[in-house]
Amino acid sequence: MLQNKLSFNQTAVSLEVIGLPDYSNNEKSDQISIISSWKLSIIDKPLIEGNFDHLSLIMTAFYSYTDYLINNQAGIYESKLIDIKAENSFTHIVLLKSSKPDVEPLTLKIGNSILSDIVNCFEQFNSSNKVRKVNINFSRTNQRKNYFDLTKKGKLFGVIMPPIISLFSLFIASSTLIYFYNMEEDKKNKALINTEIMRNSMKSIKTVL
Amino acid sequence: MRKSFIKNNINIDEFEALIKLTVEMSKYLYPYIREILQSRENIDQNPNIWGDFKKRFLELIYERFNINSMKVKKILNPNNNDEILINSLLTLALCNSNRGFQKLRNTLLKI
Repeated sequence: MLQNKLSFNQTAVSLEVIGLPDYSNNEKSDQISIISSWKLSIIDKPLIEGNFDHLSLIMTAFYSYTDYLINNQAGIYESKLIDIKAENSFTHIVLLKSSKPDVEPLTLKIGNSILSDIVNCFEQFNSSNKVRKVNINFSRTNQRKNYFDLTKKGKLFGVIMPPIISLFSLFIASSTLIYFYNMEEDKKNKALINTEIMRNSMKSIKTVL
Repeated sequence: MRKSFIKNNINIDEFEALIKLTVEMSKYLYPYIREILQSRENIDQNPNIWGDFKKRFLELIYERFNINSMKVKKILNPNNNDEILINSLLTLALCNSNRGFQKLRNTLLKI
């Protein structure tokens, strides 16, 4: 059976999807619901290809990473198949880890222009009526945590409140001990201790003499 | 931030309409936006496009924005305005899709 082929192009990037329609769902012959393979071609870069699961993981990675960039967060995306991080404000490093054994990871350096081309290719693919939609799982995202970012109200509250609560609980616990403390008895005890000390010191002086 | 003596507050409908307009403009202007971003990446080989864009952008800022505002001064600071311009252009380049409106709206609401 002949397979269908669809291409999505954006300037320097091309995404080619190969697959079959799902005839059990009464789909048209030019549709692709069962994706058997795909190829992502970037000018001057090695060809990236894989199966449907790989496409889903790669799309999730690019969508999540670009969402960090749009929200001005220092994003780093890490997963089993792909890592993306920023080298500087206009270069991004993509590390593709092969699922086949004994295959070295592939590192690609891409600029903002290629990054936006790739995302736009994926957007065209996802908005096409002729192909099966790919579910983007944003829960895989792995954001670099910035513990010292106190600009957000929630974070500031989270940092300040625990020590305040602990100090307050210590104060309440220690103030209850005041009820068990008897000032008069303490004074008597102190006087007794002082007379004992005096008596002992007199004894020691006498023995020395 | 704008050079104006009247404080103009826009309502949510106007805000969303402006976002829709920006997204549609970014779809139309994508090839130009991409070219400017590429020029900044290869600044040694092709500095003219980035230089022209930056010059015109700063001219418009001086012309239409209140340059005494700290936020505007930050944009005009030559040491760090490249990053602000790159981020703005990249946001526009990444928002020229069907999901673009939602992406840009969420981003602006988080600021």
